[in-house]
Amino acid sequence: MEQLIEQLKNQIIEALNFEDMTPADIDTDAPLFGEGLGLDSIDALELIMLMDREYGIKLADPKIGKTIFRSVRTMAEYIQTNRTK
Amino acid sequence: MKIAITGIGVVSAIGRNCAETLDSLLAERSGIGMMRYLGSAHTDIPVGEVPYPNTELRRMAGVGDEPLPRTSLLGIIAATEALEMAGADCDAFISGTTVGGMDLTEQHYNDYAEGKATEHIRLHEAGESTMAIAKHLPALASCHSSFIATPSTACSSALNAIMLGADMLRTGQAKRVLVGGAESLSKFHMNGFNTLMILDRRPCRPFDAERNGLNLGEGAGYLVIEREEEARTRGAKILGYIGGYANTCDAYHQTASSENGEGAYLAMQAALRMAGLQPADIDYVNAHGTATPNNDLSESAALIRLFGGRQPAISSTKAFTGHTTSASGGLETAICVLAMQHGLVPANLNWSHSADGLIRPVVHTERRPLKYVLCNAFGFGGNESSLIISAEGRELTEQPTLGNLTPLCSVEQVDDTDISAYVSSAEGRRMTPQMRRMVAAARRVLWQSGIERPDAIVCATQWGCMLQSMRFLQDMIDSDEQELKPTPFIQSTHNTIASLIAILTGNHGYNSTYSQSNRSLDCALMDVRCQMALGRIRSALVLEFDEQVDAWDAVLSRIGDRTHNIAKAYMYKL
Repeated sequence: MEQLIEQLKNQIIEALNFEDMTPADIDTDAPLFGEGLGLDSIDALELIMLMDREYGIKLADPKIGKTIFRSVRTMAEYIQTNRTK
Repeated sequence: MKIAITGIGVVSAIGRNCAETLDSLLAERSGIGMMRYLGSAHTDIPVGEVPYPNTELRRMAGVGDEPLPRTSLLGIIAATEALEMAGADCDAFISGTTVGGMDLTEQHYNDYAEGKATEHIRLHEAGESTMAIAKHLPALASCHSSFIATPSTACSSALNAIMLGADMLRTGQAKRVLVGGAESLSKFHMNGFNTLMILDRRPCRPFDAERNGLNLGEGAGYLVIEREEEARTRGAKILGYIGGYANTCDAYHQTASSENGEGAYLAMQAALRMAGLQPADIDYVNAHGTATPNNDLSESAALIRLFGGRQPAISSTKAFTGHTTSASGGLETAICVLAMQHGLVPANLNWSHSADGLIRPVVHTERRPLKYVLCNAFGFGGNESSLIISAEGRELTEQPTLGNLTPLCSVEQVDDTDISAYVSSAEGRRMTPQMRRMVAAARRVLWQSGIERPDAIVCATQWGCMLQSMRFLQDMIDSDEQELKPTPFIQSTHNTIASLIAILTGNHGYNSTYSQSNRSLDCALMDVRCQMALGRIRSALVLEFDEQVDAWDAVLSRIGDRTHNIAKAYMYKL
């Protein structure tokens, strides 16, 4: 799990162009949207693409992202259960 | 003075002229169906295609086999109808588009690498697709030496074209103007909207509680406008009048509209004020109504704020035509003129579920006389425009001379070290290096001038945001339309720069973008000068933007051209 979280943080940094950040700068349990990283609806779409590209998870409804993308940990947990690659 | 409409012309999924369009509106016959000509891999996505292949459109447009984007073919067809109806030549032509010749680029991109099909390259440019329309219409012959402009503010482009045309009449810069817009479907923006997950796999349902996104459409819509005295003198039939108009910026987000519909509310309110009307005077609103969850909720909020409990008849005609993006303001204004002429309110098709916070549209085409009609067109970046058409002439102020314009200050060079001082890494994370440079130049000129929020932000760009466009195009071709990211698409539209600066500086003022080859800046300055002469604005931030892109240079080298990095900002003040 810890390895997946670390890998996911790196993928988020790359996909969302957080050039100056390292995985240590992202709190695993902090909210990704609103406060915390302060992501918006475009980032949510980028994360949906990331889930498909890296883990073979297809999310058809953008609204579902709201619960899955609550924090890096909730994302990692969802990936662990649902990944197809 | 009064501005009369003496000609209209349309082509869309519901008809190749006004008569067919009227017939479809009355019969409540939608043009949305499965894709036949676009050739995208996403065959499950319904579209509002003009139901003819390019060969047939060429025949209708009366052109041979010279290189022409589908946008220009649609433009020629609708423009011909408007000009014939008006029965007179125009001395200015203003036509909005964003797609331009993207259909040719995506079709021939791999040919270009082999040195083939190079006659299409130049037509990629939005402004060139407008020039191609003008070239084929004898009634626009004098425009080449006078004025041709291409506003490119995404889905509000054509409505902004109508506004500039009206301003030019009011300032004596033109005698008769053809205004509107044209846009064909392209795989590029079909895939782009698909990455945003806002394309409904069923026919779209504007303002319905269970709506699930938009259907893209294509088409063109034009109006011939001129001074009322001019129209009367030559005995032209007057179809209606321009009552009022306004352009604002939501200044909220690159793609999402604000919850309270601030920009839309301000645009409609200012258009009413200019027309000297009260909300209760409006008989019909042709809403932007794309059927995305976000647009319809935000637009409803603005409509409810403006009209309160006395809601006029409201409908979105996008369930007939699909969302014709940059052409929508021209097509839907022409539909409003048709509706007024024939006394009908077009249906908002496919609506069945109401919800709190959403306006209740007219579900069947109704016969009723219309005196004042309001038409909305909103674009990416919060470029919001509203226009009022009236059955009786409204007196508009005029100012027959334009003042000279010299910049109060300018920034023509930004060093790399300045960029980090003006753009934080968090806010710049999605921007290309050249976009950051442009934002830095704009912020520096705002600071130097001491004008924090100028009344207008107007950008001039030849190729637009080309780096993001090329990233998206290459990914689309390489992955056969399968692996695409939303960010490059969102930032591929020409209006990205002007709207981004409005968002970063909280500026709800006038916001526009022009793309007209090496005359883009002249177009932007014409707009600013007209508005200053008319007293609508007192200050304007003018931006010049282009970016050097290796991949596009490789294509342009085939015709001996290249791209350049340009990021200049000027402040003008009365």
